[in-house]
Amino acid sequence: MAILGSFAFEEDFLGAARKLKSSGFDKLSLLSPLPLEEAQEIMGLEKSPVRHFSLAGAIFGAIAGFAMAVATSLVFILPTGGRAIITVPPFLIITYEMTILFGVLFTLLGFHFVSGLPAWRDKPYLTSAGIDRFVVIVEGAAADQVARAEAIIRDAGADEIRHVEEDQ
Amino acid sequence: MSTFVEKLRQYSKPGYYDEFDYHWTMTIDLDRCTGCEACVVACQAENNLPIVGEERFAQSREIKWIRIERYWEGEYPNIKMGFIPMLCQHCDDAPCETACPVYATYHNQDGLNTQIYNRCIGTRTCAVYCPYEVRYFNWFTYTWDEPLEQQLNPDVSVREKGVMEKCTFCIQRIRIAKDNAKDDDRRRVRDGEVVPACVQSCPTEAMLFGNSKDPEAKVSKMMKNTRGYTVLEELNTTPSIVYLKKVHA
Amino acid sequence: MFDHGQPSYAEVNKDILSTMLETGPKYWMLLGMTMSVAGICFFMPWIYQLFVGVGAAGMNHNAVWGSYLSNFIFWIGLSHSGTLLSAVLHITNSPWRKSIYRSAEAMTLFSLMTATLFVMVHLGRVWFVHWSFPIPNQMGLWPNFRSPLMFDVMAITTYLTASSIFIYMGSVPDFAAVRDASTGLRRRLYTIFSFGWRGTAREWHTLGWAYTFFAVFVIPLAVSVHSIVSWDFALSAVPGFHHTIFAPYFVCGAIYSGTAGIVTVMYCLRKFLGFERYIGQVHLDSLGKLLITLSLIWSYINILELFTTWFGGTSFELEALSFRLTGFYAPLYWEMLIFCAFVPLLMLFKKIRWSWNKMLLISILINIGMLTERFIIVATSQPRKFLPDSFGYYVPSWIEISISVGSFAIFVTLFLIFIKWVPAISIYEVKETLKPLRRNV
Ligand code: SF4
Ligand code: SF4
Repeated sequence: MAILGSFAFEEDFLGAARKLKSSGFDKLSLLSPLPLEEAQEIMGLEKSPVRHFSLAGAIFGAIAGFAMAVATSLVFILPTGGRAIITVPPFLIITYEMTILFGVLFTLLGFHFVSGLPAWRDKPYLTSAGIDRFVVIVEGAAADQVARAEAIIRDAGADEIRHVEEDQ
Repeated sequence: MSTFVEKLRQYSKPGYYDEFDYHWTMTIDLDRCTGCEACVVACQAENNLPIVGEERFAQSREIKWIRIERYWEGEYPNIKMGFIPMLCQHCDDAPCETACPVYATYHNQDGLNTQIYNRCIGTRTCAVYCPYEVRYFNWFTYTWDEPLEQQLNPDVSVREKGVMEKCTFCIQRIRIAKDNAKDDDRRRVRDGEVVPACVQSCPTEAMLFGNSKDPEAKVSKMMKNTRGYTVLEELNTTPSIVYLKKVHA
Repeated sequence: MFDHGQPSYAEVNKDILSTMLETGPKYWMLLGMTMSVAGICFFMPWIYQLFVGVGAAGMNHNAVWGSYLSNFIFWIGLSHSGTLLSAVLHITNSPWRKSIYRSAEAMTLFSLMTATLFVMVHLGRVWFVHWSFPIPNQMGLWPNFRSPLMFDVMAITTYLTASSIFIYMGSVPDFAAVRDASTGLRRRLYTIFSFGWRGTAREWHTLGWAYTFFAVFVIPLAVSVHSIVSWDFALSAVPGFHHTIFAPYFVCGAIYSGTAGIVTVMYCLRKFLGFERYIGQVHLDSLGKLLITLSLIWSYINILELFTTWFGGTSFELEALSFRLTGFYAPLYWEMLIFCAFVPLLMLFKKIRWSWNKMLLISILINIGMLTERFIIVATSQPRKFLPDSFGYYVPSWIEISISVGSFAIFVTLFLIFIKWVPAISIYEVKETLKPLRRNV
């Protein structure tokens, strides 16, 4: 059973979220039409692990880029321009581009991994959350807690409260 | 493992191909050159160069692997005409080679700058990078009217549109000479065994061709001539063609 | 920030989404027109050229590179404003970025695509273009990573990938908004596009971080891409190409023409999509100031280029320079100077900077100037290389001119398609610039 509370005002919404959090409702989702730093703080989100993916990607790309340039020129030796076969300066440019390419790709991967998206199956949602409503969703509340959560949401000034069946 | 490291070390310094057997070189004596263009015709016959026709010639889209450049010296009436046969210099440090993204042009073990027509994708970067402008692009696919296709050299491929080409030092003749040498159980081709078409046809014997790694070769001796110079030396392309010209003070 | 009062959140959604969801006959007419121009002016000549060979263009032995490459640099240059500017402004947290960046990034993407098309048009045997990618094959033959063109392949592939991801990720929340506002097939499509975005704090948080990292990666990338494009030229020994200043010169020129391009696009969005509320004087003013700065840098580098050539004093360089300044293409050179160095100085006057029509004119002039600049670089250096025997001229053929015209149609077509698929202004970021709603206000 999930409880949805939708708010017209940011401050009410944040107040409700804080209250819920401090009263022990941990499975909380805070939906907002725009990023809210306070909401992220309430959820205890600080540094995102995405950054590790970026770093890993960049390192992987750098190594892969340089290795690719060196290895491909060694498997089939074709001298050009009187240069050495392993010509470091131009290979560094390849390395640079590959660093960025894999940095970006891994960051993308990290985004999907950390955010849990794509998630196409139905989740409690209000379309107005994409427009101008701030929505608090309390999930996994025990049957006896539902009323309490609902009270907190109502007291904070929600203009709509809904119950949604959670599908597993 | 140690061979791998050795290989790495070997390949990370330039000039590791010094040890190869051949370094084909040409000398051109400008004091002998009369500008008769026999070499131009010979090359065109030997290497299946297309005849582009008047209109395309006017658009400067002709294909001449060797061309005679004409320069005037002095003021009328004390005027002199000079000729420079210009062909691919087979630079040791060829700027054209590094430019190719697909290795369509590279340096082979004979010190030749080769062009692989099949591999060429036609970026034309090599032609921009070549300071001597000796690379010619196939702007169109050229055909030979009957019965002219009968005179095509079977040892040389015919190029299609979109491919770069240039002087090969008559690589097909070098190939044959090397094969002959191998059949005779010789390690090296003898001096004078390879004669490119242009050299062969030169009536004044202004051109000489040979392996400059062989100190006894005629060409090696000629290279040491005090009249020798290379074109655009300041660009450090290290050409394989040495021109000889007496400088009049 | 807003010229006509602050809109409410719901209004923002409605205003921006309506441009996507409501399509009038005018749009279809315009789209049909640009598509046919693209087909007739770009693709038909190209197909013809594929059959006869690159000889259909005007290039010859003395200038083997021609307008295809100058157009390529131009489009790459135009691509530089969007993603780069957007990323820089994102990191420096400039509020005026928010309503212009989506279309600026789209500009990047589409001009990059157009530029890539020009590479294809340029190649002699484009059907073998895959040989320039590191694809394993049974011959064991790989591309030459020492070649500046290979740098290009890597850089442009990376740039295309990175800027597509950048624009896509920035649009995910807006895709969700589209999903919520639509029905039927579109709804299903946008459910997929939006990854099932709900706007939870966690999603916003992750997106924010990922987005910042994209921005961090994209800035050096954009700078490197145009440096690399300049190295295609500067790494050769050709007089007029062989300058160390080329990389900064190209990067600066790229951002310059790209920023001018943004002004043009802004004007069109405002005019034709009715975004007066979101794109206002602030944006115009800031872009104007940026343009002046860039124009001054650009002029400075140009003077430097002239000076170093003159001061270096090698006969080859001087020959190429005098050909550029006084030769066949001299009128174009002076036109470029007027359009890119002198006309932008008018923007020093606030009156001009605040007028949309005048700014539109200036921005178009700048881009004409920049297009000429690229053409001059390509067309005046090669015919004056080293050996006087090979001095010549290069004049574009009608096929090249037609293809250049057609490329603009391609760009506009892509843009027109874009505005119907992606909200042209970032909905959620506009909301961020609004004052938060308070109960008592
Ligand atoms: S002369 Fe030109 S084409 Fe020949 S090797 Fe030198 S740079 Fe290359
Ligand atoms: S060496 Fe052969 S290919 Fe080269 S110019 Fe002479 S005849 Fe032509």
